Amino acid sequence: MIKLENIEKYYANKGLKSYILRHVSTTIEQGEFVSIMGPSGAGKSTLLNILGMLEEPTYGTYEFMGENVTALNERKRIELYRNHIGFVFQAYHLIDEMTVAENIEAPLLYKKIGSAERKSRVADMLDRFNIVGKKDLFPNQLSGGQQQLVGIARALAAQPSIILADEPTGNLQSAQALQIMELFKTLNRKEGITIIQVTHAEVNAAYGSRILHLLDGVIKEDLNLVNV
Amino acid sequence: MFKLNLKIALRSLWKNKVSSFINVIGLAIGLAACLMLLIYVSYEWNFDKQAKNSTHVYETMTNVFGDKGEIMTTFDGTPTAFAPLIKQEIPEVKYICRINYGDKSLIANGTNSFKRIARFADPDILHLYDYQFIHGDPKTAMTSPGSVILTETTARILFGSTDVLNKSVRYQDQHELTITGIIKDLPANSSNQFDYLMPWSFYQTVEEQARDLNWSNYGYITLMSLDPGANPDLVNKKITAVVKEKNAQTFASHFIFPLNKLHLYGKFKDGKSIGGDIEKIWLFMGLAFGILLIACINFMNMATAKSEKRAKEVGIKKTIGATRSSLIIQFLTESMVLTMISIIMAIALVEIFLPAFNNLLDMKLSLGYFNAYSWFGIMGIVLFTGLTAGSYPAFYLSSFNPIQTLKRNIKTKHLFSISLRQVLIIGQFSFTIILIIATLVIYRQIQYIKNKPQGVDINALVEMPQDGALKIKYEELKSQLIKSGAVTSVNSSVSGLAHHGNNFSGLKWPGMKEENKIMFNKVLTTSDFVKTSGLKLLQGRDFSEKYASDTAAVLVSASAVKTMGLHNPLGQVISIFSDRMTIIGIFEDYVWDSPYKSNNPMIVSYSKNYTGTITMRLNPANSLQQNVETIEKITKQMNPAYPVEINFLSAIYANMLQQEKTLGLLSNLFGALAIFISCLGLYGLVAYSAEQRTKEFGVRKVLGASVYSLMELLSLSFIKMIMIAILIAVPVAYYVMGIWLRNFEFHTSISWWIILIAACGTLVMAILTVSWQAYKTARANPVDALKYE
Repeated sequence: MIKLENIEKYYANKGLKSYILRHVSTTIEQGEFVSIMGPSGAGKSTLLNILGMLEEPTYGTYEFMGENVTALNERKRIELYRNHIGFVFQAYHLIDEMTVAENIEAPLLYKKIGSAERKSRVADMLDRFNIVGKKDLFPNQLSGGQQQLVGIARALAAQPSIILADEPTGNLQSAQALQIMELFKTLNRKEGITIIQVTHAEVNAAYGSRILHLLDGVIKEDLNLVNV
Repeated sequence: MFKLNLKIALRSLWKNKVSSFINVIGLAIGLAACLMLLIYVSYEWNFDKQAKNSTHVYETMTNVFGDKGEIMTTFDGTPTAFAPLIKQEIPEVKYICRINYGDKSLIANGTNSFKRIARFADPDILHLYDYQFIHGDPKTAMTSPGSVILTETTARILFGSTDVLNKSVRYQDQHELTITGIIKDLPANSSNQFDYLMPWSFYQTVEEQARDLNWSNYGYITLMSLDPGANPDLVNKKITAVVKEKNAQTFASHFIFPLNKLHLYGKFKDGKSIGGDIEKIWLFMGLAFGILLIACINFMNMATAKSEKRAKEVGIKKTIGATRSSLIIQFLTESMVLTMISIIMAIALVEIFLPAFNNLLDMKLSLGYFNAYSWFGIMGIVLFTGLTAGSYPAFYLSSFNPIQTLKRNIKTKHLFSISLRQVLIIGQFSFTIILIIATLVIYRQIQYIKNKPQGVDINALVEMPQDGALKIKYEELKSQLIKSGAVTSVNSSVSGLAHHGNNFSGLKWPGMKEENKIMFNKVLTTSDFVKTSGLKLLQGRDFSEKYASDTAAVLVSASAVKTMGLHNPLGQVISIFSDRMTIIGIFEDYVWDSPYKSNNPMIVSYSKNYTGTITMRLNPANSLQQNVETIEKITKQMNPAYPVEINFLSAIYANMLQQEKTLGLLSNLFGALAIFISCLGLYGLVAYSAEQRTKEFGVRKVLGASVYSLMELLSLSFIKMIMIAILIAVPVAYYVMGIWLRNFEFHTSISWWIILIAACGTLVMAILTVSWQAYKTARANPVDALKYE
């Protein structure tokens, strides 16, 4: 599904290249649950951003579902966001002016899905995450864990084939974090959604099927948990 | 999607109350100014356009030639012989009619008598204007000489109803007329106004000058309508040819000009229209759009200032599949929602303030002048405003790259956005300062003219028209008035003291060099002219009953003596046409006609045959009211048919400054609005900037920064912009107002203190606006700021 080849990312500053990523090559198959780990400044988030096409690599090629997407124009990229990629952020990034239900509905609107279908999918999501009672509340009326649930519901509403999550539990208490991780695991196992998450915690990584250890922009270790 | 955008727009308006308030109030005021303008423009624009075929109606203009064949002046007067000749000779002319200029004349139903505007016209006028007949038949209404058409209001005043067909009214206390029509009141924006209209055939029986078909008295208006296909240029050529054949005089020629353009383009030079009231429209338009622009700038500034927050939203939306165009639509929806709310408020504002505005400017505007086009215009303005105000945030914000915004570092375009915001603020304040300087200069000019010695003592001086019996019983009135003790002196003249000119050339005086074309002003008066008016007599004496020879005597103004170059003026003999007159007195020049320019030298001669205005100096021993009541009583007794009209000269003189006062008021009003909206915007920006920097301020305070240094930090950049605005605005205002002042022969100068006041005033306003917010922020407890997040 994802094929990275010799990805490099650096910033040139006064003739000095400061590398964020070096020689990153890997392949991620459909249905994998990958955790990217490493200390601060290792390039985890940058790698995830490149995977999410939010940043362009300085060098190297990136194939997404068999298509070279290294330098994609905005229109095509947005097309991919609509149909294949769901983002989950550490700071939730819900839209403050929208209610829970509207936040979940938003990607469906952009995808131009009919009103009836939208309603049923939103209702489905609310149901699934047990937040039906909160559908008319605004994000600032929810706890962090609840906001992140909404964030995930929003990402799932568009039925993506892959979820990119940047420290989804970073701002949460451990009980809530646990809940989110269980959710990811279920999504991955039962629905076959590919999940790539950046995390600091070994506990979280343990939910996944594979761990990529990054250090100073280089993949130090590629650990397959399933075989272990 | 649209519904959701709308909902979100309303929610975010509600959430950001301060900035919404600033935006809505500012835009509402700007839009209200624009609406006022639209009303005013539709009022002015539709002048004389009410009639169905108004596009084919023309007014005849007359060019007057000077010695060398140059066109000296162009005016709308034509002689009586013109219309009949044209009707006969030029087939393209469908209808043609003569109208007199109209004046207030007495009309009475029994003892119920009023002075109302009367006009006489040929019956064709009913084809040129579509007067709406409530009663009567337009085909026959003006055929008989003894008929009269009343407007609705006149009928109501006289009879209390409009159902008065075939009843009779008395004109000038002498002639019985039969009412043959009652029409709806003429719209205020129609040039040829009247309260009642009588046929020309009747005019010919009461006015000798109208009866005489001549080419010398240019005292009447001629209107005509052409066949729809006719070429007015061709008609003009024909008119010139036809008139040349009949009229031997060469000092005048005629041409036709569209009636519906005359009001706005009625200023002529060299026989060509060079503008007119259209300039007033441009001025008003500039002011209104200026205000609107200032309000739009507020909107844009607030929006871009908030870009950091909005950028996050843009980023999120892009990652969940929003395209740039959908974001642009969303931002424009927001600004349109805001504009719609503002326009509703603006319409309310207009409804509330229109009466006061009408009062100030002495106009009768109402939303009723709006037709379908005007509403299109309003929708156009709303659309324009919404797009202008929303375009910058829409296109700027939607271009943000999601990852940068989510990482909260949108530094790339920051420099640019800041500088554009600065430019906009500088523009706003430049406009404001220019308006303030303009207001002050206009005010100074009015004061200057007011304080200029008038040369005539207008206090306790009144005048009234010499109507009806007062013409014959003047001597009796005079003696009774003086005996009553209400007045100390009475004088009858052909025109009032502040009269409009009766100018002539061809005066001859001893020692005159060659022929000349110098224009003098001629006044015909009776005894006690100087005594009553309070003019300053420099040499000689006033006219008096005691000297029978005064009928061949003149008083001349000081400027007349100077013009003629007489060294020993008293006793010199001058000739006006064939009359030889001896100079018996010289008086100092005084202000009349226009207080802004020096008027023609004046020659005052004695004549009891011409009447017009009675001027009276009130007795200072009695109260004003007592005097006026006594005069009214005596006059009414002597001239019962006419109502008594007493006018104070002080009011007449104050009226001469009306146009400039209007201009002063307008610039005052718009200046105040401009500074209000600008400061509102400034306040919004500072408030936002303070909110943004709460944390920074907290840190600085912990590090030991003083309140003053923090205020300086927050305010200085804004104050600097105002300074730049002052630097830009002052020279522009100085230049523009210099041009304006040079329109007047007597004018003040733009003194340094005006500029100082405008600059300091704006600066103080801005500092007050900024520093209040800065003070609040600087005084805040640093802990509150730091525990945030």
